[in-house]
Amino acid sequence: MGVLVSPGGARRRVRGLVAALTTLAIWAFPIAVCAQSLEWAVKASFLYKFAPFVEWPASAFPAASSPFNICVFGADPFGGLLDQAAHGQTVAGHPVAVRRIESVQGRSDCQVVFVSRSRQQPPAEVLRALRGLPVLTVTDAREGVDGGIIHFVVQDGRVRFTIDNALARAGGLVLSSKLLALATTPQRGAD
Amino acid sequence: MAPFWERLSRPVTRTPRVAIGVSIALLVASLVLGVISQNARRAETLDQAQVQADILAGSLAAPLAFNDIGAAHEYLNALGANPAVEAAGAYDPSGRLVASFRRVGDGPPPTNTVGALTATTGELTLRKLVKQGTTGLGSIYLRIRVESLLHRELRYLGIGIVMIMASLLIAALGASHASLTEAHRKLQEQIEEREKAEEALRQAQKMEAMGQLTGGVAHDFNNLLMVASSGLDLMDRTSDPIRRDRLKQGIRQAIDRGADLTQQLLAFSRKSPQKTEVVNLPDLIAGMRDVLDRSLREDIKVSVEAQDGLWPVEIDPAQFEVAVLNVAINARDAMPNGGVIAVRLENAPCDEGQPGDMVRITVTDSGHGMAPELLNRAFEPFFTTKGVGQGTGLGLSQVYGFARASGGDVKIESELGEGAEVTLRLPRSEKTPAVTTIARRRSFPKGVDRKCRILLVEDDERVAELVSEMLRELGYDVTRAPSAATALEALRLEHAFDLVFSDMVMPGDMSGLDLARKIVRERPDLPVVLSTGYSSSAADATAEGIRLLLKPYRIEALAAELSAALNDAARRPRTRH
Repeated sequence: MGVLVSPGGARRRVRGLVAALTTLAIWAFPIAVCAQSLEWAVKASFLYKFAPFVEWPASAFPAASSPFNICVFGADPFGGLLDQAAHGQTVAGHPVAVRRIESVQGRSDCQVVFVSRSRQQPPAEVLRALRGLPVLTVTDAREGVDGGIIHFVVQDGRVRFTIDNALARAGGLVLSSKLLALATTPQRGAD
Repeated sequence: MAPFWERLSRPVTRTPRVAIGVSIALLVASLVLGVISQNARRAETLDQAQVQADILAGSLAAPLAFNDIGAAHEYLNALGANPAVEAAGAYDPSGRLVASFRRVGDGPPPTNTVGALTATTGELTLRKLVKQGTTGLGSIYLRIRVESLLHRELRYLGIGIVMIMASLLIAALGASHASLTEAHRKLQEQIEEREKAEEALRQAQKMEAMGQLTGGVAHDFNNLLMVASSGLDLMDRTSDPIRRDRLKQGIRQAIDRGADLTQQLLAFSRKSPQKTEVVNLPDLIAGMRDVLDRSLREDIKVSVEAQDGLWPVEIDPAQFEVAVLNVAINARDAMPNGGVIAVRLENAPCDEGQPGDMVRITVTDSGHGMAPELLNRAFEPFFTTKGVGQGTGLGLSQVYGFARASGGDVKIESELGEGAEVTLRLPRSEKTPAVTTIARRRSFPKGVDRKCRILLVEDDERVAELVSEMLRELGYDVTRAPSAATALEALRLEHAFDLVFSDMVMPGDMSGLDLARKIVRERPDLPVVLSTGYSSSAADATAEGIRLLLKPYRIEALAAELSAALNDAARRPRTRH
C-alpha cells in the first residue's frame, strides 16, 4: 500500500515532502491508472480493520456465534473489493460477513454499516435511525454523505477518516484511543 | 633452638600463602561477579527489550492497520529516543517493510519473519506480531544494544585492573615471601656460624683456664709436696723430739692446704657433696677465729658485728668457712700495709627484690679496691690478679659456687682506692639449729668406752692399711673386706659388728651406697658410715640420711663421725645383737 504519508503536518514538512515525492515516484503510475479502485480497496480493508479497535456491547450480537456483519447501505462503491478484503477474516471470534442492505428500520443485526447514496431511503434518515444503536456507522465524503461515526476523507491523496466519538458513545461503542489518535480533525468539505 | 625457629618461621611461610589465596579468591570473585552482572544486565535488557517491543507493537497497531506511515514513523522515531535502540521496523501483514528507523549498523531487513528472539554479542533482535484483539495487523523488528561498547570496555577494564592488581599483589607477596625465606635461611646460617664460633671461643677459654689452673695449682701443690717431702727428709735426720714435732706440724699444714685446694676445686665444679646443717652464723664465725687469725697477718684486724636474733641458715658449714676464708684472704691480699676486715651479719627481710627472707653477710675491707672492669670478672673461675703461684683464681669462684649451691647469691662492690665490699646472701631457714653442732665438730673424742667392732670395706690396699691403723689407734677392732660382696658375706657369717665403714666407689656390681642401702634395709640397727672424696652419688647418700665422711679426713673427724654414728645407734632401740 504505502499511500499514506505522515500526518505530522508542518513540523515535518520537508521530510513529508520527500516522502510524498518518493511515494509519488513509486505509486504515481498506479494512482494515475487506477486511483479510484485503489482508494476503494483501501477503504474496504479499513472497514473491517476498524473492528479490532472498537468494542461492541454484548447486546450488539444476537448470539455468541453470530457473524460479524459489515453492511453496505445504498449504492455499493466497493464492488467485490470489500468481499475480497473481508474474506476469511474474523473479529473477536465472529466470522466476518458482508451484506448489502436497502433500507434500515431501527435496529439491525449489522455491526458496521457503510452508509452510501441511496434512492430508496435518504442516508440522513438511515443515520438518524441508527443513532443510539451499537452500530459503527461509516460515511464517505466522496459519496456525498456525512454524519457517520467514522467519516472517510481523502487528504493529500491519502485516505483518512474523522471520528465522532460522542456519536459512538451514544451507541454504546468504545473506540480505542489508538484509533482516535489516528483520526484526522474534521475538515468537512476540504476534499 | 630448632623448634623456636620453626615456630618463628611458620607465620613467615604461612602469611604469603594465605595472602596469595585471598588474592586468587578476589580474582575469581571479581570474574564471577562480572559474569553475574553481565547475565543480570542481559536479563534486564531482555525484559526491557520485550516491554519496548510490546509497546512498539501496540502503538503501531493502528498506523499499520490504517496505513498511516507518518504515524508509524513517529512511533519508531519516538522509540529511537532510547539510545539503546539500534534499528526498528514496521511491517504490514504480508511482511513488507513500511516504516523503519536506523541509528547504527544495518537497518531493519526489507522483509520480516516473526520468529524466536535472537541474541548476538552486545545486541538483541526481537520480532513481534502486531495484533489488535485477534486480528493480525503486521509485525515489527527491533534491534537493541545490550550494552554500549564503551560501557562494556569500561567494565572489562575494571575487571582487568582488578586482575592486574591481584596478580601484582600475588607477585609482590611471592617476592617478599622468597626474600623472607632467603633472609631466614641466611639468619640460620649466621646463627650456626656464630654457635660454632662461640663453641670455639669457649674451647679456647677452657684451654686458657686449664693453663692458668695447671700453672697455679701445680705450683701450689709442688710447694706443698716440697714442704712434706723436705719435712720427712729432715725428720729422718733428726731425733730431737721438739724439732720432729715442728716438722710434723709443717707437713700437716701442707697436707691441710692441699686438701683445702681440692675442696675449692670441687666446690667450684659443684660436684662437691654439700653436707647441709642448720646453723647460727655468729657461732660458726666465732669458731673460725683461730683459723682466721692463722690465715691473716698480724697487721690485719677482724671485727665481727652480728645483729641480735639473726635468722638461722641451712648451709654446708665447711663450705661456708672456706668461703669466708677466701673472702678474708682476698681482703688481706688487697691490704699489703694492713687494715681492718669488718664482717657484718644482719637479717634481710623479703622486700628487697629477693625471693624470700635472707641473711646478709657483708665483708668490708679498707684495701686498694678493684677496677670496675675487673669486678665483672671477679667471680670467674681461674681469674686472678695475683701472680702465678700466689692465687689460683678459685677463691671468689668458690664463694660464688657456694652461694648458688646454697640458694643464695653474692655480689662485690668496689672502687679503686676505696676498698671492697663483698655481700653474701643466704636464704633463711625455718628450722632451729642443733645446739651441739659446733661443739661436736670441735670435740676430739680420744678413744671409746668399749672395744667396738668395725667392718671396714675398702678396695685400696694401702688406704685400707692406713685407715685400719687409724681405727685401731682410736681403739676399735677392725675387720677388713675388699668389696661390698665380701662385706655382706662377712656380715652374714658374723653378727657381732657394731658399725660398717665403707668406701663409696668400689669395683664390682655393688657400690658403697648400694651396700649401705642393703644394710639399712636388712639391719636397721647397724650404723653405716660412707666415705668419699668425689662422687655424684654422695648427694644421694646425704639425701637418704646415710652418714658421709669426706676424704681426705683427719683422725679427729673420723673419730667424731664414728662415735656420733655409734651414739645414734645406741639411742635407738636395738632389735638384735
